[in-house]
Amino acid sequence: MSYPSEGTLQRAIAFAAALGIGVAAYIAIAESGGGSPVCLAGSHGCATVAESSYSHVAGVNIAVFGIVAYCLLLASAFFADDLARFGGFLVALGGFGYSVFLTYIELFKIEAVCQWCAASAILMTILFLLAATRLIAYAGTAETLPDRA
Amino acid sequence: MNSEDRRTHMLQLAAGAAFLAVAVVLVLIVVSASSSGDGGDTKLEGVPEVNRRLAGIPQHGMVLGDPSAPVEVLEFADLQCPYCKAFTEDQLPPIIENQIKKGEVKLAFHNFTIIGEQSLPAGAAALAAGAQGRGWNFVELFYKNQGNENSGYADDEFLRAIAKGAGVSDMAEWNEERQKVTAEVEATTAEAQELGFAGTPSLAIKGPGTAGLEPIEAQSTGDLEAAIEAAG
Repeated sequence: MSYPSEGTLQRAIAFAAALGIGVAAYIAIAESGGGSPVCLAGSHGCATVAESSYSHVAGVNIAVFGIVAYCLLLASAFFADDLARFGGFLVALGGFGYSVFLTYIELFKIEAVCQWCAASAILMTILFLLAATRLIAYAGTAETLPDRA
Repeated sequence: MNSEDRRTHMLQLAAGAAFLAVAVVLVLIVVSASSSGDGGDTKLEGVPEVNRRLAGIPQHGMVLGDPSAPVEVLEFADLQCPYCKAFTEDQLPPIIENQIKKGEVKLAFHNFTIIGEQSLPAGAAALAAGAQGRGWNFVELFYKNQGNENSGYADDEFLRAIAKGAGVSDMAEWNEERQKVTAEVEATTAEAQELGFAGTPSLAIKGPGTAGLEPIEAQSTGDLEAAIEAAG
């Protein structure tokens, strides 16, 4: 099976992670003053989700955890070794799994969808696919031989 | 370990981690689905609906709406009162959607506990929710799940479920606060009696067009809108 070059995957991961940092930072900043992100088309979904008990874990806004995860993924894109490949995969896996859970909570418990949270979930899904592809294609290869495609 | 062994080992670890992640997410979803999400074993109606309707509207204590709104409507009510439920669910929504969201009016809930002995702790529980910015969520959710007067439904478990469903984030603080505010519930009940009110819900209004706090009769949304217009 043919894979994109590792460099291409690294750049894609860096781009998606940078977007994710922006989205998560906006959510965290918007909620920091007791407010909520602005949903498009006048939807109240963002406010409903922000005000739910699921928006915080141990008193910390979950967007803050998102920022940390995206930063780690961004960092993993700057290295072409097994630690970056495997570490990036684990972070993306955790982020993707938690995004699935949060999307379930939005749809079936809170019954409101925050567009910014959905954007973050989509980005985390893309990052998981990129990190998994990178790991499968390039795990065990030497740093000096990043292009195995 | 050569590179092929390292690769195999790493992919095995990744597969294990993925399997673990799937298991954890499934457990989280199953646990979440099996809990009511509304608090305790009490199943509540209307949690998302109430919280969605009030989302984005400022709340300060038991006052709904912009604190600087020129006109204030005071509702003296008993949470166990079915007429108060009807007033809140039938007459108030257009006022909330229009005048309150526009910042023209603020609406204050004042306890006027006349139905029975569970009205006082229920009113105090509402005030404690108000201390966390969820007072009107509590009031509306209580009405959504209101039982028959003095049937004993408004017990501690019910109040806890309402508070959780209303989005009270610190239940320990809420529990502590509600013990402290019973005097406030009694004070607003006394205030209602001083205003000459004998039943619930009773309404009063104040604004630039009124001479202080004036009792009003509002049998319909139109009556209330007219009173707001005159007070503004």
